[in-house]
Amino acid sequence: LFRRFSFDDDCTLEEEEGLVEEEDEIDQFNDDTFGAGAIDNDWQEEHARLAGLDERVRDEVDGAGDASSVDLSLSGSNAHSSAPPQPSSSSRLYPSIDERGGGDLAESLTHLILGSDPAIAGVGAASSDRSLRPLMLSGQTPQPSALAGQSSLLLSYQQQHQVMHRGPAPLSQINSHSIWENSMGFSPVSSGLLTQKEDKTLMSIIKEVGLPNRPPALSREEGRDFSERVPPPRSSSPVIGSPPVRAVPIGTPPKQPMSHVHTQQNNHPSAIQHVRASMPLRYPPPFPERLSPNNLLSIASSPLSHSPFPAGVGPVLSQIQRAQLLNSQVGPFQRGPAPPLLQGGVGGFRPFFGQSGPRVGLHGPPLGHAPIRHNTTHLHPQHRRMLNQRMQNRGLGDHVGGRGVGDRKNRDPYSNLMTQREKEWVARIQMMQLQSTDPYLDDYYYQNYYEKMEKRQERDRDNRKEHTTKLITPQVAKLEHTYRPVQFAGSLGKLTVSSVNNPRKMIDAVVTTRSDDEEKREKQVWNKRRQILYTVEKMYSLLLEVQDFEKKFLQTPEHQRDALLEQHKTHMVQLYNSLREKEWDDRVSDKQCLMIMSVRKGKRLISRLLPFLPQPHAAAVVMGIARNLPALAKKDKHDQVLCWLVEPVTTVIQSMSSTSLTDLLQELQGSEGQLPLVLQNKFGVTLLYLILSEGERMQSSDPNCQLMDDNRWTELVFSVTRELLKVPSSALSSPLFTPPNLVSLFSRYVDRQRLELLQEKLQITSLTR
Amino acid sequence: LGHARIFTFFSFKHCVLWVIVKLKEKHLVLLRDGRTLIGILRSIDQFANLVLHQTVERIHVGKKFGDIPRGIFLVRGENVVLLGEVDLDKECDQILQRVSIEEILEEQRTEQQAKQESERLKLQAVKERGLSIPKADTLDDF
Repeated sequence: LFRRFSFDDDCTLEEEEGLVEEEDEIDQFNDDTFGAGAIDNDWQEEHARLAGLDERVRDEVDGAGDASSVDLSLSGSNAHSSAPPQPSSSSRLYPSIDERGGGDLAESLTHLILGSDPAIAGVGAASSDRSLRPLMLSGQTPQPSALAGQSSLLLSYQQQHQVMHRGPAPLSQINSHSIWENSMGFSPVSSGLLTQKEDKTLMSIIKEVGLPNRPPALSREEGRDFSERVPPPRSSSPVIGSPPVRAVPIGTPPKQPMSHVHTQQNNHPSAIQHVRASMPLRYPPPFPERLSPNNLLSIASSPLSHSPFPAGVGPVLSQIQRAQLLNSQVGPFQRGPAPPLLQGGVGGFRPFFGQSGPRVGLHGPPLGHAPIRHNTTHLHPQHRRMLNQRMQNRGLGDHVGGRGVGDRKNRDPYSNLMTQREKEWVARIQMMQLQSTDPYLDDYYYQNYYEKMEKRQERDRDNRKEHTTKLITPQVAKLEHTYRPVQFAGSLGKLTVSSVNNPRKMIDAVVTTRSDDEEKREKQVWNKRRQILYTVEKMYSLLLEVQDFEKKFLQTPEHQRDALLEQHKTHMVQLYNSLREKEWDDRVSDKQCLMIMSVRKGKRLISRLLPFLPQPHAAAVVMGIARNLPALAKKDKHDQVLCWLVEPVTTVIQSMSSTSLTDLLQELQGSEGQLPLVLQNKFGVTLLYLILSEGERMQSSDPNCQLMDDNRWTELVFSVTRELLKVPSSALSSPLFTPPNLVSLFSRYVDRQRLELLQEKLQITSLTR
Repeated sequence: LGHARIFTFFSFKHCVLWVIVKLKEKHLVLLRDGRTLIGILRSIDQFANLVLHQTVERIHVGKKFGDIPRGIFLVRGENVVLLGEVDLDKECDQILQRVSIEEILEEQRTEQQAKQESERLKLQAVKERGLSIPKADTLDDF
C-alpha cells in the first residue's frame, strides 16, 4: 500500500514493512477518507516550512541566474542527501538526494518527468521547463531540488532500461498521459523493469525523499512563480472533481511483487498511455473507465480541436496529442482500454498537429503573458479577436509592469497557492460545461447578439473584400459520464470506492410521507398549484417552439420545410387542445381557462399565445375570458396583471365579426350582476370599452353592417349604458385607455342629458386614473 | 424561460479565465447575505469556492464605509454573488469616506433600525386597509 511510502521520518524501511501489515486493516479506511496528507505531517509545520522555504527559494533563485544554463548541476544541489549512489546507474545519476525533498514525491516526479521531454516541455505549472533530456539529466535549477535528483535517479533507471531497449519514447509516454493521471505515487518509474535490487534501493530513496517537504524549486524565464508549493498528498479518486491523484484508492489488492510489467505494444496512436504503477506499488489499474478531469476534458475537447482556430487548445492537451504522436512507437505503459472517443479525436487531430508541429518549449501561459487559449471554438471569430486583443493589451501592460513588479511578487510568500495546472484544471472543468450540441438552445442571446453584430458590420462595410467571418460552431456530442462502479473480473458484486473526493451513496433512504391533516390540505393546495404551473409550463414550451417557428423556417433548407410546417401545425393544435374542454368541442373550457389564468404565468402565456391562434380559436379564448371575467378579476387581485391581455385582446377584437362581437358583449355582461363586477375591474372596463369602440367603428365605417341586423347589439348597449349610469363612480374602475369614439357611440343610444351624465362620469374616471 | 443561459459563452469563459489569470490580486466578493469582502484571491475551484487572503469586510452605509480585518476566508461557492477585481488606482480616489470600525457599525445599526421601523409602519398601513402582502410561497416564480 501507499503506506509503505509514508513520509514518516521515523520508520526505516524494514520496520515499515512490518508496520504496514498491521496497519493495513486499521488505517486503510482512514488513509483514503482523510487523505494521506492528514496522517502525515502536521500542517502547521508544513506551512511554516513552506513559508520558510519560500524565502530560501527566492534567495536562491535570485542568485541562481539563468536556470536554463543548468546542466549537470543537480549534483551540486543534492549534496545533502544521504542515499547511497545507485550502483547500476551511470554517471548521470545523482546520488544525492536532498532530504528536504518535497513532500509530494509523486508530483515532483511528474514534474520532472514531464519536463524531460523537450517536446513536451513546459507543460503545466509545476513542471520545470528544464528538459531532463533522456540523455542528459540536465535538469532542474540548482535549487534544492531533492526530487530533481531523486527523480532523475528514477528516470535514469527507466532510461537505462527503456531507452536502451526501446527507444526514446518512454518519457514521452509517461508524459503522454494526462497530467493528473499520476495516480500511482511513483508511477513514472517503470515498474517491471526494475530488478529487485533496484527496487529496494529505489524504495529507500523514495522513503528518504519522502521526508520533509521541499518543493522542487522551479524557475522559468519570465513571469514564472518562483516558489512552488507542494500540496499535501490528497486522497485518491481519479474521477472528475478531484485534483491530481496520488494515492491508491481502497479496494485495490495489496501489492505483490511483479517480475515484469506486462507491456503491450501499442501501435495504435489513439490509446491513452498511462503510466503503470511502479514496482512497489503494483496495482492493476482499478478504474479503467474512470477518467480524470483532464482526460475527460481531453477526450471531450479533442474533437473540438478540429477547429480551424490555431492554438485553440491548452498546453496540456497539445502535450497529450504530441505525446501520442511520439508514442506511436512504443507503449510500455498502458493502462486499460483506451477510451473510444479519444481514438477518433486523436486520429483526426494528427493532421492538425502536423501543421503546427511540436512546439518545443511551449510554456503554459505565464500570468498575463500569453493569452490563455483554451478551447475557443465556440467563440465567434470577431469575439475571439477582440478577446485576444484585449488579452494582448493587458499582457503587454502586465508584462511591462510585471518586470518591475516581479521582485515584489517574489516576496509574496503565498503567491503560488494554486499551481498553474490547478488553475488550468479548474478552467477546463468550467469550460467543459460550455460545450453544447445546440448553441441556439444553450446560448440563445449570445448567438443572436453576434448575428446582429455581423449584420450590422456587413451593412456598414458594404460588403467589402474583407468579408465578415461566419461563426462555425462544431457540434459536439454530449458525452454521458455515468459512474459505473468498479468491478474486478471474476468477483462478485461491485466495489464502491468512496472517498472525500468522490462521495458515494451508502444508505438507501426511503421517504415516507406523514399524513397530518393540515399538512395534507396545505399540500393539496400546493399540489394543485404545482399542477397548474406544470400545465402552464408545458404549454410554454410549445409556445416557444411556435414563436421560434418563423426563424427556424427561414433557416431550414427547402426540403425540410414541409416537415417543419407540419410540426408547427401540431404544436398549434396541441396548444389549443390544452385550452379546450374536449377534443371535439371547439369551445374553450372554462375550467381550464380559469385554472391557467389563476397564475401569473398563465396570464402571460395566454397573452403571448393569442396572437398565434387562428381567428376562431382566438375569439373563443377571448369569449372565455369575458365570460369568466369576474372570477378572473378576483384571482388577479394579487398580481394585477390582467392588463397584459389588453393588447392581444385588442387585436382579436378588431378582427372579429359583428356577430361575434355582439356575442362577446353578451358574454361580458353575462348573468345579472356580472357587469358591475366587470366595471369594478380595470381590465374589465377596458375590455368593455374596446368592444363598444369596435362596434362603433363598425357602425360608423360601414353603414349597412350587420351589427344592427338584430336588436341584440342595441339592447346590449342599452343595458351597458344603464349600468354605467347606475353604478357609483367609486365602483367604476378607470380603464387603461378610453377610446375616443365612445361618445359618438353613446350619442346614438341615449338622450342628451344622459349623454352628458355619461360623459361626466367617464371623463371623471378617465381623469382620475 | 426557455433560453436561460444568457451570454454563457462570452462572459463565463472570459470571466473564468480572467479570474484565474488574475489570482493573487485584490478582489472584491459580494456574498449572498450582502456582505462585501475584499481580499487577495488565492485559490478558486470549479464550484467558485474562494480562498481569500488578508480579507477585509467592508461595510457601506451611505457615503461612508469601514473595514474590518478578517484574515483568511474560505467562501463556499454557492454563496458568492459577484467576484471582481479591484482596480487599485481607482480604489485610491473615491468619493466614499472611510471611517472607523465603531463608527461604521453604529451607522449600520442606525440604518437597520430605520429600515425595520419603516417596514413595520408599512405593514401596519397595509393591514389597516385590509390588504395583505402575499407570502413568498404563494407567488409563482418566473
